[in-house]
Amino acid sequence: MIARITRRTALVIFGIVWLLPVYLLVINANKSPQAYDSKESWIPSGASLIDNMTEAWHLSNLGDSVLATVTYSIISPLIAVLVGAAVGFAIVALHLRHGFWWFVFIFGGTVFPLQMVLLPLFDGYSRVGLFDTKLGMVIVYTAISIPFSAFVMRNFFTGISQSVFEAAVIDGASTWRIFTRIYLPMAMSALVAIFILQATFIWNDLLLGLTLSQSDNVRPIVTTLSGMQSTYGGAQLSTVLAAGILVSLPTVALFLFTQKFFIRGLALGQY
Amino acid sequence: MAKKKEHYRWAARGFVAPGVLLVAVLLYLPLLWTLFLSFSTYNGLGEPKWAGLANYLEMFQDPDFLSSMFNTLLWVVGTLAVPVGLGLVLALMTWNLKGGVWLRLPFLIPYAISGIGVGLIWSFVLQSNGALDQALHAFGVGDTPRWLLDAPLNTIVMIVAASWQGVGVNALLFTIGLQSIPKEPLEAARLDGAGGARLFRSILWPMLRPLTTVVIGLSIVASLKTFDIVLGMTKGGPGRVSETLALTMFNDTFVNSQYGLGSAIAVFLTVVTLLASILYLRQQLSKKNEI
Repeated sequence: MIARITRRTALVIFGIVWLLPVYLLVINANKSPQAYDSKESWIPSGASLIDNMTEAWHLSNLGDSVLATVTYSIISPLIAVLVGAAVGFAIVALHLRHGFWWFVFIFGGTVFPLQMVLLPLFDGYSRVGLFDTKLGMVIVYTAISIPFSAFVMRNFFTGISQSVFEAAVIDGASTWRIFTRIYLPMAMSALVAIFILQATFIWNDLLLGLTLSQSDNVRPIVTTLSGMQSTYGGAQLSTVLAAGILVSLPTVALFLFTQKFFIRGLALGQY
Repeated sequence: MAKKKEHYRWAARGFVAPGVLLVAVLLYLPLLWTLFLSFSTYNGLGEPKWAGLANYLEMFQDPDFLSSMFNTLLWVVGTLAVPVGLGLVLALMTWNLKGGVWLRLPFLIPYAISGIGVGLIWSFVLQSNGALDQALHAFGVGDTPRWLLDAPLNTIVMIVAASWQGVGVNALLFTIGLQSIPKEPLEAARLDGAGGARLFRSILWPMLRPLTTVVIGLSIVASLKTFDIVLGMTKGGPGRVSETLALTMFNDTFVNSQYGLGSAIAVFLTVVTLLASILYLRQQLSKKNEI
């Protein structure tokens, strides 16, 4: 009993220490730029969080970045989930010849560091006019999300009895119909899990944004935040900190509500 | 029936094609091109010229590359010791504790923040006369170290920042491992009077071993790719002293336009990452055979 109380007390203290950086972030993002004093970091003052966030939204055209990033983190995972499901369907339900090796080929796309593809992507994108375009960003984020999606969907479809497929064939359904009307609806939970994981990954991406974009309305949000940090300091620091909160809030909330999905993704080496 | 099978063969190819094409064009093709560029001189203008091993020889004589390699090694060791070790401690502390989910929450919040976000917070804390220095002054420490300016201290404090981010999720993985341990041997051990350290050594640790392997493997591979936090906190500086391999590759390529050298570093990083995974898996397999 006493041991448990000790454990709990230790954890609470430990937890408070852990949250100190978050405390500092929030109270300093809440200070008005006029009253900001860089020597009083620990003492809260003012109530300007919303004002600072509004200010940040306009600074560096962060607003444009947010809109672009929302587009990327919805469209790319959506396509990747469907393409990945089609791969899983071809291998498991349609018994694609050498299906396992095609699977290894696709999954192998994630085992090397991104550094291995950056320069040719930059070079190739510049040549075909995809550099610094939303389309280019959507395509690269989609491609990067496919291996993981194919991995999960292949596993998921392996759990579905082949008799489901055969019964549908006897009813005269085409393979396309079987895929869209039977397999996809059955896989909804897996599709949602992949979607959430990949959306978070794209939201937090820095490297691809840094390499393949430069305009405010194409640049993903984390890349823009990184630029703001080096451009604005001093009195505008509270605004940059507010931008940090603005950028982080969606993924933190999403993560806390869907921890289980993340653990599954993590165990598969996604992060 | 044979006709049917033939029909599915084409349908199957149709379904797998978009995935194969996207991955081939956007991942494998660039990969091969980087491999080729690492053996050539190229700065984006004209045609790449074959240069044999010149880039690799230059790389291993480049002091910036060598210090970057040392920093990356620090990252690998540091993120194994702190976030993985502390994650295990945290999981053991919250295990079988009512309200453990809530007690773990403070450690999980940093995980979903992007590397740049974490860098933003910690450079605010660590800047000269920043939050940490103010706290130390209040406790009477006059001379505070230049956290982000001196190597290797700057790499060490960045590892602390990365640990702040990573502990919670490692704790969560270990918690899932602990929860999956069957109840019977635990009860038996408790009845025999085993508790605390003994229980951990003889029951929990052996049973957690497969999971520990996974966590360690993930940690090594992730730390080899360290990029975002360093860019967010020091930009690899001052000068280039706190760069990691991933950042050195980026700077040599996109800042210094040394495409060949940058590609050679990318290849080196990839080989190390793959070797780490293979060595690691082999070690794990042989360990399993011992039991």
